[in-house]
Amino acid sequence: MEIPYTVNARPDTGLYNAKVGIWLFLASEVMLFGGLFSSYVFLRIGADFPWPFHELKVKPGFINTMVLIASSVSVVAAWAAVKARRFGWFQFNMIFTLCCALGFMGIKGYEYYHKFQHYSFEFTDGSVINGHPIHADEKNHGDRIVFGEVKSIVIDLRNSNLEFLDQRRDKKGELPYAMPANGDLKFKSPSGKEVVLSKDWLKAQKRKWLDAAGELSRMVTAYEIEKAANKGNDEALAAINAKLDEANKVAIEKAKAEDLTQSLKLDVVGEPLLFLAKESSVAKYGQAEMSFKDSTVLQGKLETDAIEFNADLIDLRKNKDAEKALVWKYYPDLKDDFLRHRDEKSEEFKKKYPKRAGTADADPDNLRESLRFEFEEVLPEEHAHKLLHDHSMTVSLPRSEKRFYSNFTPALSPYYAIYFLMTGLHGLHVIGGAIVLGWFLITGKKMYRENPEHLANRVEVGGLFWHFVDLVWIFLFPLYYLM
Amino acid sequence: MDSSHDDPSGHDSHDHPIDFGKAIRTYLMVGGALILGTIITVFVAYKVDLGDIHLNIALGLLIATVKVSLVGLIFMHLNHERGLIYKTLLFTMIFFAAMMFLFCLAYLDPIKDSFFKP
Repeated sequence: MEIPYTVNARPDTGLYNAKVGIWLFLASEVMLFGGLFSSYVFLRIGADFPWPFHELKVKPGFINTMVLIASSVSVVAAWAAVKARRFGWFQFNMIFTLCCALGFMGIKGYEYYHKFQHYSFEFTDGSVINGHPIHADEKNHGDRIVFGEVKSIVIDLRNSNLEFLDQRRDKKGELPYAMPANGDLKFKSPSGKEVVLSKDWLKAQKRKWLDAAGELSRMVTAYEIEKAANKGNDEALAAINAKLDEANKVAIEKAKAEDLTQSLKLDVVGEPLLFLAKESSVAKYGQAEMSFKDSTVLQGKLETDAIEFNADLIDLRKNKDAEKALVWKYYPDLKDDFLRHRDEKSEEFKKKYPKRAGTADADPDNLRESLRFEFEEVLPEEHAHKLLHDHSMTVSLPRSEKRFYSNFTPALSPYYAIYFLMTGLHGLHVIGGAIVLGWFLITGKKMYRENPEHLANRVEVGGLFWHFVDLVWIFLFPLYYLM
Repeated sequence: MDSSHDDPSGHDSHDHPIDFGKAIRTYLMVGGALILGTIITVFVAYKVDLGDIHLNIALGLLIATVKVSLVGLIFMHLNHERGLIYKTLLFTMIFFAAMMFLFCLAYLDPIKDSFFKP
């Protein structure tokens, strides 16, 4: 089927069809992003937390703005090159545009990566420290929950998947769970059998358990049929019920003998085990028991649930009394520096804005400057570096003092939720646009030979989309990085 | 680099004449203006204190709007487009503006201070 008006304008609209199409599409895109910008306004005006003003590093956002502007120039230049029948220039500009797209996504990836590596810990009194947890290795447990002296594990045959046996290392080379690496995990089952715990064993056991349950169910059904046939005959029914009870008992005993009960307690043979569990895999824990999300339960002793943390910032804006903040338990040496900084900044603010001096204690602009203590900005460089990177400066933050703990992901705050949503959606548009423009570059030669105006129209349409992507970023950059 | 001006298909390239050199100069100038606008936005956000953060935000958004207008008018050719496109965009802009002011509905709340103040 030939698509009409791909080159020449339709008489009634005065436009070729693709141009009408792309503008209608862009109109819908304006609505899509408009909804998100509107959500941003709502979140910002109604924020029940200190808005992270000037918290994103400006440099990557600024460079990305430059990159997108350069690509906007090159994509429109590519269109002009086809119109002027300069195919070499078209190719050059399209390649340049694609390089810009790649550069943009690279910088965005770098930003995202560093956000995911950065954590925030909020104490129960509202004090916040940002920084990095120390990653678990032989010497420390990072932010793992350490559960030791594990002498038995209770497996739920219906739900357990023995996830902790997955010894795949993550990107940092960490194991999801750390256990003694002395070979097989040997346990004694309730029937007295010795079991080597593995996923294959669990799979086989689950199958046997389901088979046994199926057998029991068939037996019960057979008795039910027999009962129905003897309806009205009380003597026969009593005999059948007795037989059923007996058969049931036998079946249950048989199942127990083969360890086919839903909840299966396995006792550790040999040395007790030690688990370093990720909080995300744990459903709940206490001093003597820890349950994983797959219903597997460990019985032992909670060694520690503290988070080993190196900080780069203290933020006491949510704290009612900065001088009595919980954070000073862990950073007593910084308290005087912090209070001095707070008083200096407050004085500066009052001098700078005399009209606002009376309400300075509640002014968010003043609080941001005076109660947000970024080590890099306030302390000598060497000291700030040591606090963030040196193990001697690591503090252990117990989870009992935790109100909230997360890395800089959408979970951290509505600000980061909408930041990742909008920049992520924008990033997808960059990728989509780059694919389309790349396709025009690859297939352009043939079309250029056959009908250069057709190619010019295609590039114009692709370029319009690309400019829209640039246009969205022109608003995203100031809203997220500067305001 | 191929700098041929010949139309490989035999189509008349003068159907839609374009002065390539002039067009590129225009685009580069607009690109330069956009870069300048970005630098000014950063400068306004960090170095200029208008006494109220809301004024800084308003100024930043005003510069962004000027930049967006440049992209729209020059790069997206909205300075010489057909009526159908303007009509489409008019409706888009009306709905967009309405969406941007949706938050004002919160002020209809009978409780005086509608938004939470931390």
